[in-house]
Amino acid sequence: MKVLMKRVEMIAWFNDKDYPVPLRFRLDSEDKVRTVIRIGRIFSHEEEKLGGNRAVVYRCEGIIGEQQRPFELKYEIATCRWFLFKM
Amino acid sequence: MSERIVFHIDVNSAYLSWEAVYRLQHGSPIDLRDVPSIVGGDQEKRHGIVLAKSIPAKKFGIITGETVHSAFEKCPELVMVPPCYPRYIRASDSMVELLGKYSPFIQRYSIDEVFLEYIDTERPFMEVATEMGRRIREELGFTVNIGIGPNKLLAKMASDFSKPDKIHTLFKEDIPEKLWPLPVEELFMVGSRTKKKLNGRGIFTIRQLAELDRDYIHSWLKKPGLLIWEYANGMESSPVRSGAVPLKSVGNSTTMPFDVETREEAHKVLLAISEMIGLRVRDLDMCGSVVSVSLKNHLFYHSSHQRKLNIPTDSTNAIYRVARSLFDEMWQGEPMRNFSISLSHLESNEFFQLSLLGSQNKKEQQLDDVIDRIRLKYGQRSIYRSCFLYSGIDPVIGGVIMEESYPMMSSYL
Repeated sequence: MKVLMKRVEMIAWFNDKDYPVPLRFRLDSEDKVRTVIRIGRIFSHEEEKLGGNRAVVYRCEGIIGEQQRPFELKYEIATCRWFLFKM
Repeated sequence: MSERIVFHIDVNSAYLSWEAVYRLQHGSPIDLRDVPSIVGGDQEKRHGIVLAKSIPAKKFGIITGETVHSAFEKCPELVMVPPCYPRYIRASDSMVELLGKYSPFIQRYSIDEVFLEYIDTERPFMEVATEMGRRIREELGFTVNIGIGPNKLLAKMASDFSKPDKIHTLFKEDIPEKLWPLPVEELFMVGSRTKKKLNGRGIFTIRQLAELDRDYIHSWLKKPGLLIWEYANGMESSPVRSGAVPLKSVGNSTTMPFDVETREEAHKVLLAISEMIGLRVRDLDMCGSVVSVSLKNHLFYHSSHQRKLNIPTDSTNAIYRVARSLFDEMWQGEPMRNFSISLSHLESNEFFQLSLLGSQNKKEQQLDDVIDRIRLKYGQRSIYRSCFLYSGIDPVIGGVIMEESYPMMSSYL
């Protein structure tokens, strides 16, 4: 997977877990095309605390284009921002 | 084993490492620590200086404190990043939080240094120190040096031996081998002036200082001399202080990017600095009764004057008036580069003594209060004194962080 760290718009579900569950996100590509990607499965989530900056990293998979592809999302807690970290 | 064990934990290239970690977390393909890089001050407003450097940058001879310009001359491919203090505070907090689990006696000495009193009798200290270093590296992403000794002085000296990511011990029996061969200026509290004095009498190593007769050094350099003599002999016994150290003074200074040549301009700079000092001291709910002004002219010659006030003050106008008067006393008409004001003899605002000038004080207090609140709500630039319009001088000068008041960078342990 390649590191992208692209800011995305996200719809997430705050339930009884200790972390928000990402549901689907919208991504802008270079040609101004906005794609909505639905998260099919979340394999794992892990909190990182690099330099004290807490973030949750999710390893997921979803259908992008025609294929089922794996990717990693990162949620930066201090800023409430979601990123497509790796794909 | 009744000997104390004190740890000194020191982050390697703090500002730079913390910036490197942030960038990696945000997907940067390079680790700043692996390339020649520096954290540099704002190069646009004034001549920036190197605030932190990476180990590869050190190999080019770049030192902390030199100008960014000269750093680039030594290494044209240098990567420079601007400072970001909130990021550093967050990183520092995370380290202190992690270390706090190991002992209740923890002293935050500066933004990147912590003293810790090791009191666990179950686990060997070396094992714990190794774990601390590993956990900081793995969980927080940056490396530290850990110095271990029977007091803060020796622990702090030890952490400064080879870097990065190392643990060093310096106990009493190690002093002759590890501490004494070092040049005397490496000793904590020995600065360039003391070094010159010592060198002048043939003292070049810490050993030579330690072997001096106690009465001799006391009669020559008095109390400070005795202090460094004790340090050279590893004698130091201050406790690891967990509480906050009471702040003794609040000061701000600035080195202007141009020579200030008129009295009017100088007064404006002093007013801008007074604004920041007033802001800070009111935020701390304190007031002070000694105002001190320090100046450096275009040749960087230094002079200072101070005055004790009858009544402690926290008012920007009051601080400014005294600073202006002190400046007028000192100024010989030459171009000035550096201005510094300090308000000391601080005490709590609570028991504010009233004086005959009661109503004047009250009005100024109200004015300061309103201005503070407007600035808090709408930003620092939302309101300022009209004399600064088109003046080319910042209306509020000095200060780096407004959110926290850490008593950083103490000169004493």
